[in-house]
Amino acid sequence: MSSSPSGSHLPEPSAPLPDYRAQLNAWLDVNHEVLAPRYPAPGTLDEHVAQMQRVKSLLHEAGWMQYGWPECVGGRGGSPMLRTELGAALAARDLADPGLFSLIEVLAPTLIDFAPPELAAEVVPQLLSGAEMWCQGFSEPDAGSDLASLRCRATPRDGDAATASEWMINGQKVWTSLAQYSQRCVLLTRTGPLDSRHRGITAFFVDMDTPGISVRPIEMINGEQEFAEVFFDDVVVPADRILGEPGGGWAVAMSILPYERSSCFWQRIAYLYTRLQRLVDVAPDDERSAEAVGEAYVQLFALRARSRATQHRLAQTGTIGAETSIDKVLVATTEQTVFDAVRRLLPGRVELDDGDAGELWRNEYLYSRAATIYGGTGEVQRNIIARRLLELGDEA
Amino acid sequence: MIDAEERALMSESVRGALADAVENGDDVDATLAKLDWLEMLRDEPDDAIGIVFSALGWTNGAATALDDVLAAALGREPRPDLAVLLPPFAEWEAPGRVAGGELRAEGLGTARAAGAHELLVVCETDSGPRATVVPAAVTEIRRLNGVDPDCGLHAVRFETSATDLVSVDGALALARGRRAVAHQIEGACRRMLDLARGHALEREQFGGPIARFQAVRHKLAEAFVATEALEAALDAARDDPGPETAALAKAVAGRTQRTVTRHAQQVLAGIGFTTEHSFHRYLKRTMVLEGLFGSADAIVRDVGRRLLAGREVPTLIEL
Repeated sequence: MSSSPSGSHLPEPSAPLPDYRAQLNAWLDVNHEVLAPRYPAPGTLDEHVAQMQRVKSLLHEAGWMQYGWPECVGGRGGSPMLRTELGAALAARDLADPGLFSLIEVLAPTLIDFAPPELAAEVVPQLLSGAEMWCQGFSEPDAGSDLASLRCRATPRDGDAATASEWMINGQKVWTSLAQYSQRCVLLTRTGPLDSRHRGITAFFVDMDTPGISVRPIEMINGEQEFAEVFFDDVVVPADRILGEPGGGWAVAMSILPYERSSCFWQRIAYLYTRLQRLVDVAPDDERSAEAVGEAYVQLFALRARSRATQHRLAQTGTIGAETSIDKVLVATTEQTVFDAVRRLLPGRVELDDGDAGELWRNEYLYSRAATIYGGTGEVQRNIIARRLLELGDEA
Repeated sequence: MIDAEERALMSESVRGALADAVENGDDVDATLAKLDWLEMLRDEPDDAIGIVFSALGWTNGAATALDDVLAAALGREPRPDLAVLLPPFAEWEAPGRVAGGELRAEGLGTARAAGAHELLVVCETDSGPRATVVPAAVTEIRRLNGVDPDCGLHAVRFETSATDLVSVDGALALARGRRAVAHQIEGACRRMLDLARGHALEREQFGGPIARFQAVRHKLAEAFVATEALEAALDAARDDPGPETAALAKAVAGRTQRTVTRHAQQVLAGIGFTTEHSFHRYLKRTMVLEGLFGSADAIVRDVGRRLLAGREVPTLIEL
């Protein structure tokens, strides 16, 4: 077994999507052994993270990681849909966890759009090549669905917001995914008055080894420590690490939405198809299975159709907005439908099986319960749909 | 395939024309003929089906355009005096059977079946699907009032000698028929959602419109999500036409019908339970449409059986 991938003739970034997809898949076929996980399934989170970074590094070396990213951060250019195809192909082959891999989509664009250009050029390649992991410090104990109430405080150490050369950060974040693995954090802080809501927020790009930062991982219901609490105690950050303008942090946070709701979802959908395939591989061939599997497949079809339409709209118009709350509701409910089918059709597998298959299904079944909670709860999505899309006016 | 902008313009004008026809009590088939429906169907069948049937659903118009869709898919020139025999309610197998030189058929017909001179019938045979045209005189036909007398459905049965059987693309006809009915359900779902939304904004209780209440808002949001997903599924079935995508779109339509009627009726509450409000027409029409070419339950089971038989889960559509 070779330890490095075999060379290939890379497609032009302007190549039609089907051609790019075909060449990518051919390359992934040839290099499957080099790329495949080296631990037995299902693997631990440590193993998943290490696997993802190894795959990113191999893909970067071979030139695939650079597609769809602008040249100013070392990319090869081309449509962002090329990135989406790559992430989906990795998910479909179980080469990288889509939840972990697609974090690139909510972190790198932020740096490209809001960081000083020389900072973006320095750090984005580190993320793409698997040399670094980053995390997103948004939620707080008192700012979950109501993100605009966040309180983690940043104050200028010298002068005022316009002239300060350094800022001091104090406060706490929670549900910060992969904080304990990360070298950097995209952090939202309160810089205006406490009641300034979305106007008084500033985003920083913080090195996680800065003195005063401590990370306490939290165990999730599936036993993994994917997210953490992060504490900031007199953490000093240079002013050139502000993303966007002081007070412009809400725009930074909102800019993530189009990528999260297009590329990340397409990767998640590819993963859901693999899980339905796994279920179909082992489910008993009876009417109950036919109903449950058919129901999940019908939902997946509508979801995939919706997600495709969303990505083409993004590619054509350059923007998507509140209507992606529909995609979010669909992806969350479909994920739960798929794993509900697993529990229905494989009695005892999730609940009692201590073998590898049991571990995998249990872990992922339990994780699927969070689908209607993270990234904006199902209720918040429906509130957005009611107000912004159906224009039902103010709530009582 | 026409582009999205042109499609939107055509949808608007067809919907407007059909709405006027329904309001004035004009013949909807005659209105479709004036809109060059048959030319649209011949030139761009996948677009024409979407535009016209969605408008039929929205306006609750009763037409026999389904006969044209099926006749064309079965290789015949559609004409007003040629009806097509539909499968029995909730089924999709070919309505005809051939045995010992005899053709026996049982199924449904649109209003056209009552007046047409001839009936086009698809039969399942040992060597695949075949079709033939029989004179209307041999058929026994009975009007079905059911829950929606205005939809014009008839029960049709007959026995005659099996002659002039021609090989046909039965899968294409089924796929087009399913897409047509699913689009009609989609149009009706949009209208029901529209009616419920309007009611929620106008109806005042506890000192203001009931649209203020989250319980009401979430029901409408749920209905909207389902309808948008159906539209995406139908667009995918139009862009990647085939038996699989059409079957899935029809199943999504059935599920959406269930979600939208439940939530819209609950939001409309008392007035939606009367014949004084138009909601009941859409509810009843979609209850009938859900059973044409297979109910969602039956398609879901069939799709699931196929997945299990092949142990293969194809993704069907790509970016």
